Amino acid sequence: MRIVNLRFDLWYVAPEDLPRGRIAEAGKRITRPAKSKDCGSWQLLFFSVDYILFSMNRLRNTLLQAMVIVVAAFVVGFAYNSFSVNGINPFKRIADVPIVEDPGNEVTEGIRFVDLEKTLEIIERGAVVIDSRVAEEYDHGHIPGAVLLDYYDMGNYLDEVLPILSPDQEILVYCYSPTCDDAELLARELFTLGFTRILVFKGGYEEWVESGQPVER
Amino acid sequence: MTPGHDTPLGAVQREGHQPGSGSSGNWLSNPHLLLIVRLVLAVIFIYAAFQKIGKPLAFADEMKTYGILDMGPPLYIMAIVLPWLELICGVALVSGIFLRGSVLVLVVLNVVFITAVSIRTADLIKAESISFFDVYYDCGCGFGATYAWKKLLENTVFLILCVVLLLAPSYRFALGYSRRSE
Repeated sequence: MRIVNLRFDLWYVAPEDLPRGRIAEAGKRITRPAKSKDCGSWQLLFFSVDYILFSMNRLRNTLLQAMVIVVAAFVVGFAYNSFSVNGINPFKRIADVPIVEDPGNEVTEGIRFVDLEKTLEIIERGAVVIDSRVAEEYDHGHIPGAVLLDYYDMGNYLDEVLPILSPDQEILVYCYSPTCDDAELLARELFTLGFTRILVFKGGYEEWVESGQPVER
Repeated sequence: MTPGHDTPLGAVQREGHQPGSGSSGNWLSNPHLLLIVRLVLAVIFIYAAFQKIGKPLAFADEMKTYGILDMGPPLYIMAIVLPWLELICGVALVSGIFLRGSVLVLVVLNVVFITAVSIRTADLIKAESISFFDVYYDCGCGFGATYAWKKLLENTVFLILCVVLLLAPSYRFALGYSRRSE
């Protein structure tokens, strides 16, 4: 048994009696690819180097493929995002939206967090109430007079809701419960769209119902 | 490095390097097994991708709950890109183009995900004083809420499958991989 090297990465086992230099005839008589244990000590050196180079080649190719895939994902992702109804701008998300802390301050532009009492007051005054939950929840029951604007499907609802809003009108937004921050996110979104007086009812629909307020279906 | 190119050993190249017999000669090189693994992973990842593709905000919201990334450009960029990454890798697995590269990407994704879920599980255990097997939440991958240990187990299996694919010496039933073209 002999080891025959045909190309840098092709090592084969050939029978002993195969004449050296008669590789052309080897085609029919080479038995199988060589493994490291077939090699004599000197051959092992070259065999190992070839193996390592081949593996590095494969590693390099794999890494290149992976990079191409990641780049493709970025390109396609951002392209789809710009045309998608629900697309977002990752760089202009949470704009520097001022949160007005002082409850007495009614002048500064920004978003405010209000409790149930203030909410009732505001609704009394004729604010527009926006429900930021999903359609099923809205149909199940919402604050009377509220308009649906599903935060996660904004693109589809904005067309209907925007016309009824005006820049200096009071807008009240609510969500499911205190732990849900969709109302705040929607408020920030509305602020960046140019509406200046937005109030977030932190307690949400949960608190509204628990306090026995009427609901609309 | 094309197969069957004109060398005196054209014939033996085909014989000597049949993936079926395998130069490593073990089950890792069985081309049918590899194909099945590829298809299984592809179906899973393509399905998961479709759940998330048009909805970056919802996905970003779910990722926020992990407490690792907060609102901001990195989170939103991930929400935009990751579903497409999954989709592309799924397509690559089925078609067989860029196969090894996509499997590498999937390995990385799985490792990151397993790490994130572990961190979140540990946080939840500490915060709510529940046992490991009680942790239940929506991981945001598109399959709904399940037990955390189930998620970890599933993704460890995926990781193992991906590693199996990575280690395979060659692939059959794959465009872009002919005998001896790597």
